[in-house]
Amino acid sequence: MNDMNPPVPPLKSLIIATVFAVLLAIAILLSAVLPAEYGVDPTGLGKMMGLTALSAQSKASSQPLAITCPVLPTQIAEISDQNQNLSANSSTGSTKTAQKQQLPQWQDSVKIMVPAGKGLEYKFQLAKGASLEYSWATDGAQLYFDFHGEPLGDNTGYFKSFKESTDSQASGSLTAPFEGAHGWYWENKTQSPVTILLNTKGSYRILGLM
Amino acid sequence: MILFVPINNVLAHGIDANTERFLLVNQSMAIGPFLYIGAKHMVTGYDHLLFLVGVIFFLFRTRDVLVYVSLFTLGHSLTLLFGVLNHMAVNPFLIDAIIGLSIVYKGFDNLGGFQRLFGFQPNTKVAVMIFGLFHGFGLATKLQAFSLPQADLWKNLLAFNVGVELGQFVALLFILIALDFWRRHQSFYSFSTATNTLLMTGGLILFGYQLTGYIINA
Repeated sequence: MNDMNPPVPPLKSLIIATVFAVLLAIAILLSAVLPAEYGVDPTGLGKMMGLTALSAQSKASSQPLAITCPVLPTQIAEISDQNQNLSANSSTGSTKTAQKQQLPQWQDSVKIMVPAGKGLEYKFQLAKGASLEYSWATDGAQLYFDFHGEPLGDNTGYFKSFKESTDSQASGSLTAPFEGAHGWYWENKTQSPVTILLNTKGSYRILGLM
Repeated sequence: MILFVPINNVLAHGIDANTERFLLVNQSMAIGPFLYIGAKHMVTGYDHLLFLVGVIFFLFRTRDVLVYVSLFTLGHSLTLLFGVLNHMAVNPFLIDAIIGLSIVYKGFDNLGGFQRLFGFQPNTKVAVMIFGLFHGFGLATKLQAFSLPQADLWKNLLAFNVGVELGQFVALLFILIALDFWRRHQSFYSFSTATNTLLMTGGLILFGYQLTGYIINA
């Protein structure tokens, strides 16, 4: 037998081998691989054998998810203190700022899961001039993000971008230049889901995931 | 990173969760780890292994094995280095589908399909080299899915590539020993058609799996 030239079979056995390979591959794909990997189950066999459960699990992590986290009690106390200050005397504004710098505290805290290879938006409704303080960080991976605002009642798709970059965290504050939805677009270019912890404070209404 | 169950495991020659975590955190040169990751990738990448089995199935002389594997390695390395250094990323589903086809091709070739149907033998050395190029692109695409540190990138890459060759060498030894043993028995010849038919089946399954992934995720 020669190295370079494998035996040349009769045409009939070549055809049999090829057809067999194709049929076996199709059978395994349809009955097992596709149901288990993607939840594609044309034969119903995957469901019968419980294989589709595997892909249902991975689908769960391909859906965007936002879980509101409780703000720690001490932080709530601080916030209510401040509110009292604020209502008691508006001239204590400067002390309020000082306090704020000493102890950053948040009104809302949310965990957002960005599925692998997907992007999502998380928004807040702000009146013109309203403030939004924020700080977010991922579990390590970098995300492309665009912090932007869309004017209320605008249908043209116009938006104003405040900050656009790729990073694993960012913080700052925004004074809304117009009334409308303000928030982030995050895009996860990695092959695994990324979780963001977003802390916010200000005079806003949460619109949430969009 | 993969806290949430490895999402639809795109990676035929995948990179597992620990490795992925390391790749994401690592910010500098790490020859040892990259060597290891490269080697592990090769030893555990069943698509590469199937292709290698197909390539050396009818190579009886050590010299030929070395020539073919070197060609495969050359192709593999070229596109891996070129792809990562030039930030070229191809859709991983498509690349893996092509890798699946490369296995089908080799199985069909071993069945003598090309000679029987077309009356000529496509240059097997060229074919192995070309499929090596595709296999390397697949790897380059996957490595780039992680934000690799730019500092010392080429050193890490080189380490990774050397690791790939080491892993290939180890995997090859096992395959060769097994094949060599089998060749002493008549069953090797009686079952060579069956083996290569199954090789085609495996390649077709990989192909269908990746192509469906591409369609679903498009």
